[in-house]
Amino acid sequence: MNTLTTIDELGFAPALQQDVLEDTTSDHALLEATRSGDQDAFAELVSRYRNQITSYIYRMTNDYDGAVDLAQETFVRVYRAADRYQRSYAFSTYIYRIATNLAISELRKRKRRKLVSLTGFFQPSDGGEAKELNPPDGRPLQDLELVDTERRNAVQRAIGTLPEKYRAPLILRDVDGRSYDEIAKILETSEGTVKSRISRARGFLREKMRAYL
Amino acid sequence: MRNNNCELIRRELDELMLGEAWSAAATAHLRECAECREFHEQQTKLRQIVGSLGTVEAPADFDFRLRARLANDASSAPPIYWAIARRGLAVAAMVIVVVTGFVVVRDVMRQMENNGEVAQKPQVQQPAKPDEPTPVVKEEKKPEQVVAGVTPVTIRKIRPTQADYRKQPLSTKDVSSLGAKVLNGTEPAGVSAAFPIDSSAQSITVSLEDGRGNAKTISVPTVSFGSQRIVQGGNQFAPKRDW
Repeated sequence: MNTLTTIDELGFAPALQQDVLEDTTSDHALLEATRSGDQDAFAELVSRYRNQITSYIYRMTNDYDGAVDLAQETFVRVYRAADRYQRSYAFSTYIYRIATNLAISELRKRKRRKLVSLTGFFQPSDGGEAKELNPPDGRPLQDLELVDTERRNAVQRAIGTLPEKYRAPLILRDVDGRSYDEIAKILETSEGTVKSRISRARGFLREKMRAYL
Repeated sequence: MRNNNCELIRRELDELMLGEAWSAAATAHLRECAECREFHEQQTKLRQIVGSLGTVEAPADFDFRLRARLANDASSAPPIYWAIARRGLAVAAMVIVVVTGFVVVRDVMRQMENNGEVAQKPQVQQPAKPDEPTPVVKEEKKPEQVVAGVTPVTIRKIRPTQADYRKQPLSTKDVSSLGAKVLNGTEPAGVSAAFPIDSSAQSITVSLEDGRGNAKTISVPTVSFGSQRIVQGGNQFAPKRDW
């Protein structure tokens, strides 16, 4: 009887192959390949992160077209800075940090231009807490789908009224499901600060969404 | 009433991910505290609503637009040599500005020093005439040893610096109480005698007693520039004979 057991028989082969595959197609490896001029590697990175980044910026800015534009700018910056990229952080942290900075910069520009947006229509000029543009209708809705849609719109509007320092950690935690450690790295602050800001952001939201809770 | 324990339990529940198991202490507390239970239910519902926002899809032409943007950026980017040349020009311009500034400041300071020098110079200035011999004064300050010149000596005058002028205010020094060295002609031939008085910044009048009751007064004019030579017997005040 042959006592030698092949790797395939042990069932390790798929795992090993997966490891090798992940190693060669990890974010870092793809960025290395991008650095050496591999356009396909960069295309792969874009396809991995385009939805996440677009969605994140959209939740931050509440403007879809602007979010797409900023998401593209994020990738342009990644591409341009590929030579200077350091592997001290995960690539996702790196790209989210760029996206966060762009989104916050956009929000500040809007504030300076006093651009009137749907959610910020009733926002006081002193930057204080905004009033709800579309207060919830207390009457019960028959269609559950409509209820969900209405609730999501309301929470999106409520998030849009949060100060930017509370908005980013809340979205990263409750929408994207990122860890406190990663959020702290993205926002370049401490974990304690992140936890505190998320807690305060939820407090603000709870007050605004009281009718839906 | 909420106590410290409520705060701790709420914080613990708040930091957990949705669906993550909490501690036994939190479970026990939630069973007892209706306020915290209500808070936890509201918080969970809120987080579920926020979490239900989900991911927004990027548009279908996202990649195409991104490629176009990158291509556009690459074509509109200035060539690398132009960037280097621009940097070099900037550095050269900065160096020129610094050097010019240094020269201008130096000239201005020199001008100011010259003005100060003119102000410090004595009023009486007798420029040396070409046909008139000029007394020569050596740099060393030994006013007590005033000796008449015996042999023709050529001494190149060292031009005093600006600092020297400042150090020499217009003053009068009386050395009449000091005895002069008596020359009786026994000095060996060829020994040069120097006038160790610096008259480059001020005129000096020296009164000498020859020991026989005859006083000789010698005025040494200000020497302000150039070099002079001693011409034996050329000075009208120079002694015509041995004392």
